[in-house]
Amino acid sequence: MSVENEGEVEAGFRSPYVESPVIMATVRVLSPFVFTFGLYVMFHGADSPGGGFQGGVIVGTVILLLGIAFGIETTRNWMGPEVPVALVSVGVLAFLLAGMGSVLLGGAFLEYSAYGAHHASRYGIEFVELSIGFIVSGVVAGLFFVIDSGQREGA
Amino acid sequence: MSDLPPMLVALPILGAVATMLVGLVRSETGWPVAVLTSVLQVGAAGVLARGALRHGPVRYAVGGFAAPYGIELVVDGLSATMALLVASVALGVLAYARKAGPRSNPFYATYLLLVGGLTGISVTGDVFNMYVFLEISGLATYALVASGDRGESALAALKYLLVGTFGASLFLLGIGYAYVATGTLNMADLSAQLAEAGHTTPLVVAAFSLMVVGLFVKVAVFPLHAWQPTAYAGAPDTVSGLISALVSTVAAYALIRIVFTVFTVDFLHANPSAWRVLVAGSVASIVTGSLLAVSQSEIKRMLAYSSVSQFGLIVGAVAVANVTALTGAAIHLVGHAVMKGGLFLTTGTVAGETGARTVDDYGGLAKRFPAGSGVFGILAFALVGVPPAVGFVGKLYIVLGAIEAGAWLLASVIVGSTLLTLAYVARLVERMFFWEPEGEGRGDGGDGAKSASVLDEATGGEPGGASRGMKAAVLAAAVVAVVLGAAAFGYGQLIEPTILRLVS
Repeated sequence: MSVENEGEVEAGFRSPYVESPVIMATVRVLSPFVFTFGLYVMFHGADSPGGGFQGGVIVGTVILLLGIAFGIETTRNWMGPEVPVALVSVGVLAFLLAGMGSVLLGGAFLEYSAYGAHHASRYGIEFVELSIGFIVSGVVAGLFFVIDSGQREGA
Repeated sequence: MSDLPPMLVALPILGAVATMLVGLVRSETGWPVAVLTSVLQVGAAGVLARGALRHGPVRYAVGGFAAPYGIELVVDGLSATMALLVASVALGVLAYARKAGPRSNPFYATYLLLVGGLTGISVTGDVFNMYVFLEISGLATYALVASGDRGESALAALKYLLVGTFGASLFLLGIGYAYVATGTLNMADLSAQLAEAGHTTPLVVAAFSLMVVGLFVKVAVFPLHAWQPTAYAGAPDTVSGLISALVSTVAAYALIRIVFTVFTVDFLHANPSAWRVLVAGSVASIVTGSLLAVSQSEIKRMLAYSSVSQFGLIVGAVAVANVTALTGAAIHLVGHAVMKGGLFLTTGTVAGETGARTVDDYGGLAKRFPAGSGVFGILAFALVGVPPAVGFVGKLYIVLGAIEAGAWLLASVIVGSTLLTLAYVARLVERMFFWEPEGEGRGDGGDGAKSASVLDEATGGEPGGASRGMKAAVLAAAVVAVVLGAAAFGYGQLIEPTILRLVS
């Protein structure tokens, strides 16, 4: 990831971003673990405390960490501005398809046993939790970027 | 077709996602996707309504989890009516929105999300599920109100957000109390368990009060109405038309559902004070809403206060709690949605054509924009309750119901409210048809140019003319308001079994 920030030093606007090797190194080490922990929490929605909402927030904080360490605008460009929208859309779509798929297979809406897989209910719920995680992490990242751009305009 | 109830909720949400995804590839695709979704939605809601009105309620256990534990969707005649109303109004407003904007893809995605949320409130049979959908439609509405590019829109949305969230929180708290008292969230199960827990126990009464006051905020019953005129006046015209027609209407449906399906008429009989709260809210709304409407100078604000008064009628029907009054409430909910949505859209069309936005601007409007004035006049008199329009039938049923129940105070207030409605409508109609246009001849003088530029600022769209879609939507509203008046008695008979089930 590029570290210099052309966008941040526009005339008259002093970015709150401070380039610090300590923060960058810490975030670099921490991010994969936070990300994995987020996934872990997401997968525990079915039979223990956890789930898509909490896990999604944790995954979303990875983006926040990267933003704080490497500059928000840089992170946004690196991720691509469409990614949060795509994450949210894909998440909702996956949830809906899980519901409609069981109808197509002759069950009720969201009736996982219609899929006929081993432990269908459990894996079905985990799949739905995962899609909720997509949505939540996309929303968290998107809101973070939007708030930042609002601050930029206000400055 | 037995899987229609969940599909009715899933379809608009799917449409919202499709709008976003297609929008990533190509911009300017929001409108066609939204129209396609709405057409399918109207079809699905129509099929469902036909089934529910003819053969009684449709029950659906989501995910195959049986009723008291899983989430149940219940579509009876009233829910189906609401779902169909939401779908049809959304489609009609889309015709208006094509030119009037806001035109971005996120706008259409939020629009469809609102449709999904409102449909969800209508078809759910679970109180917590209802809260979730109430929040979905609330959040979508805040975003839609804020979609205007004026500072006023943002401020109105913020005010609405704060008050609306407060109302939803009270509702949630009420659900919590009811859950503590009974341990269930399913509406049908709750009504049995609440009776068992005792209708006069403080816990149950607290649950009722919190839920009803929370919904009062959402319906905009006086004195909890303050968010509503700001939101309706601050939102872009398209959004005002949509939310004035649907959001409070579906909240009022939720009120009927909570009071009669969850708490039942026996609860009202056991707690005269609960009944008194409903009567007080109704009378205060009717009287104050009308008086405030008379004193407004901006058309959209006047219409917004008129909604406060009209929803007072609905709350009054809930307080009366007999078959006739509730049939009237169902008819008036539909009728008011068509009339008020139509009036807001007409206001937008008139502003697009002539730049007129205040009561004074409307002086001599009939000479400048005869068609618009005509439609406005028809819808306004329908709202007063002039036969044969639908406004008359709804009010007639409610008044008859009140007399039947011996609630003379309510009956006289409702009849009196018609006179008050006439006061603000007549004031406007007189200006439109019998006043000479002020100053300039045909609205093209200095003043006209000024108001056009004000409009440009206000709507963010190009001034100088309303589109064909805008005019068609407005005309359709006026025609439907009159035609529904003829159909309303038939509908009243059709929905009677549903209402009987509600109050028994």
